[in-house]
Amino acid sequence: MDEVYNTKQALKPQKKRKHRYKRTKGDIIFNIINYTVYILFTLICVFPFYYLLINTISANELVRTGQIKLYPIGIHFKNYIALANVNNLGSSVMVSVARTVIGTATMVLASAFVGYLVTKRNMWGRRFIYRFLIITMYFNAGLIPWYLTMSMLGLTNNFWGYIIPGIVAPYNIILVKTYIESIPAELEESAFVDGAGYFTIFRKIIWPLSKPILATIAIFGAVGHWNSFTDSMILMSGKPELYTLQYRLYIYLSSTSNLSALMNSGGAVNKSILDAALNMRTVKLTVAMVTIIPILLVYPFMQRYFEKGIMIGAVKG
Amino acid sequence: MGSDDLEARQLRSSNILLNLLRTVSILIMISLVLPVLNPARLSGLISKDSALLTISLSYQSLTSGFIRALNRGWMEESTLTLIYIASVIITIGIVILSAGCFMTLGKIRLQKLGARLSAIGSAIGMPGLVMLIPAYNAMSQTSNPGKVEPMFPIGVYVFFGLLALNFAISLITAIKLPKPQAADRYEMEAKYQLFLMILPFVILTFVFAYLPLWGWRYAFFNYKPGLGLNEFVGFKWFTFLFENSATRRDIIRVITNTLAMSGIGIATSWLPMAFAIFLAEIKSAKVSRMVQTFTTIPNFISWVLVYTFAFALFSTEGFVNSMLIDLGLIEKGRNFLMDGDHIWLKMWAWGTWKGLGWSAIIYIAGISGIDQQLYEAATIDGAGRFRKMWNITVPGLIPTYSVLLLLSIAGILSNGMDQYFVFKNSANKETIEVLDLYVYTLGLGSGGSGNIPLATVVGMLKSIISVTLLFTANRISKLVRGETIV
Repeated sequence: MDEVYNTKQALKPQKKRKHRYKRTKGDIIFNIINYTVYILFTLICVFPFYYLLINTISANELVRTGQIKLYPIGIHFKNYIALANVNNLGSSVMVSVARTVIGTATMVLASAFVGYLVTKRNMWGRRFIYRFLIITMYFNAGLIPWYLTMSMLGLTNNFWGYIIPGIVAPYNIILVKTYIESIPAELEESAFVDGAGYFTIFRKIIWPLSKPILATIAIFGAVGHWNSFTDSMILMSGKPELYTLQYRLYIYLSSTSNLSALMNSGGAVNKSILDAALNMRTVKLTVAMVTIIPILLVYPFMQRYFEKGIMIGAVKG
Repeated sequence: MGSDDLEARQLRSSNILLNLLRTVSILIMISLVLPVLNPARLSGLISKDSALLTISLSYQSLTSGFIRALNRGWMEESTLTLIYIASVIITIGIVILSAGCFMTLGKIRLQKLGARLSAIGSAIGMPGLVMLIPAYNAMSQTSNPGKVEPMFPIGVYVFFGLLALNFAISLITAIKLPKPQAADRYEMEAKYQLFLMILPFVILTFVFAYLPLWGWRYAFFNYKPGLGLNEFVGFKWFTFLFENSATRRDIIRVITNTLAMSGIGIATSWLPMAFAIFLAEIKSAKVSRMVQTFTTIPNFISWVLVYTFAFALFSTEGFVNSMLIDLGLIEKGRNFLMDGDHIWLKMWAWGTWKGLGWSAIIYIAGISGIDQQLYEAATIDGAGRFRKMWNITVPGLIPTYSVLLLLSIAGILSNGMDQYFVFKNSANKETIEVLDLYVYTLGLGSGGSGNIPLATVVGMLKSIISVTLLFTANRISKLVRGETIV
């Protein structure tokens, strides 16, 4: 635990450096250049997000012709309402949310439990088992054999194909194991003397104490699930209703068909499309915005954890 | 003395029996997932790739090949239902038997229960196998034997033999095991308990990380979708790869792209370190924090979203065109995404945009780990800003940098396919295709008509070279730094 504590300290921005330079002319020039470069790069990182946002809330006709540049004009939110009529979007949102929640929950539970078990030195065959699990980080058979295996197991065109292969995550197991090893062993031993079994100890002691690291891997797992689209494309090709939101967005982006093909038909809907003067560009950008929003919402919480995760990961398992 | 001897002999003989029981049980469990031994494959229309477990888990995997046969009335669906029920019964029997097998790791009471369960499981499985006989008879009465291909698979005999053997052994074990004392309880030594707890995860790992290696055999066969592997062709696909002029050209082009893009990445791999070093010179904690926060965000969005940004900014109606027109630099917008020039550099730029802030974090943490006294001493000695950076900060970060550099050299062939897949279009496909993307396009990307064996060969060679590179890098690290990286 000390280790983690120190990491936290270490990651504070460098306020402690006390030695002051005498400000020479060179220093001033250096600072101007330095600040400019960093602020420019930061702007470049942020601008696309902002540009996307203003293009989804501006007058659609201006968006279509590329008139929205630095600020929104004619603000409205009809595009977001109109998304309800975009074909298949609802099912993709459901799939993405479901896989993110279920996939992350199972992965975190499994990583916590396995991470705990591999710290037990009296396990039969422990050394072998640990290596057996961890070595899979460094090789893979390749895409095609993996796909054929998934297909043989009946996990293609099957929602569980998103979940089951991700349950055992070796890297996360290492993170949890390293963290648990820093928990004082006495806590566990005393419970053991009291007659508690491994499950009880795991549930009552290990799980609550490892929450920081579990939060870290949960965040990474959730972002990974939310962002992945190639597995959708490879495994679910026969079942479009199982496409994730990201893959759906890719399909919209690469589609050249006209708007009416993308939207549900029907008089009322057509009217709403006309009202909003929707066009392909606005629909694509609005779907993208909806896909980004969850990430932006959890990002402030993530920041606390991911730096910690990166540092513990640097300590080898 | 005599009774001790007897007891020791009894213990030894029951240990032999238990080991025998475990061995046979494990063989049965393995057979359950081997497609070759699938006893339920009573027709050529059942995929050669499905094991008994697959069939008993999903009825659809059994029937998917029979849609035409059922529509044309070549056979009754009830036959398939019968096969499915039989498979489920056999699988349930094997699950019970496996539970019994694992219980024999416990102490005497559990052992006895385990042996009994093992016998019961085998006894349940055998009638399931027998049910396959009427199913086979029904299958052979098909009106179109040429298409339905009724067959009586060897797996039936293998399963029956194994189950009968297991039944006999379990029964004998259950009888032979000494009677538990009243004080004995259902318990198991901690080491076996722990083993059994982790076992499900070991099995998952085996299935998803090791079992695919078995798929490398596709490299040595001709393959037709749905029919599985039909003929062994040895190294035909390996030589084809280099002898066929079209694929040879593709491979050379793809490897050039891969090495070029990884190469640019490696050549600029010091950037995150530089980013961190110069960021440390920003004394305002607020600005420094803000830069860190906002430059890290792009790392957390998917490549599809990055492509959306590219689309929003660089397409014909995008930001860049609008600005250029406003400034009077161009007359009419054009779609920069359809421009195939300098793709390697553009891909590097997008990768840097997405990853620079994130990759810098480890160095930022590294800098704050450097002893402050070093800087103070250097200041007193009259060292300037750059001197201190170069002589204190950089050496402090080099260990981290060299590990990451070695890892990226080991991963030179694996740049993933996501980025290149989303940015690929007709104008840039020649220069953007990397190995990972090529394997996908070759094997799966053309809607079921891909060349699975050839794609497997390419993937297999890639995996082998990557692992070799990794171990070499590890060896180098051990020699130079005295520490391994993996």
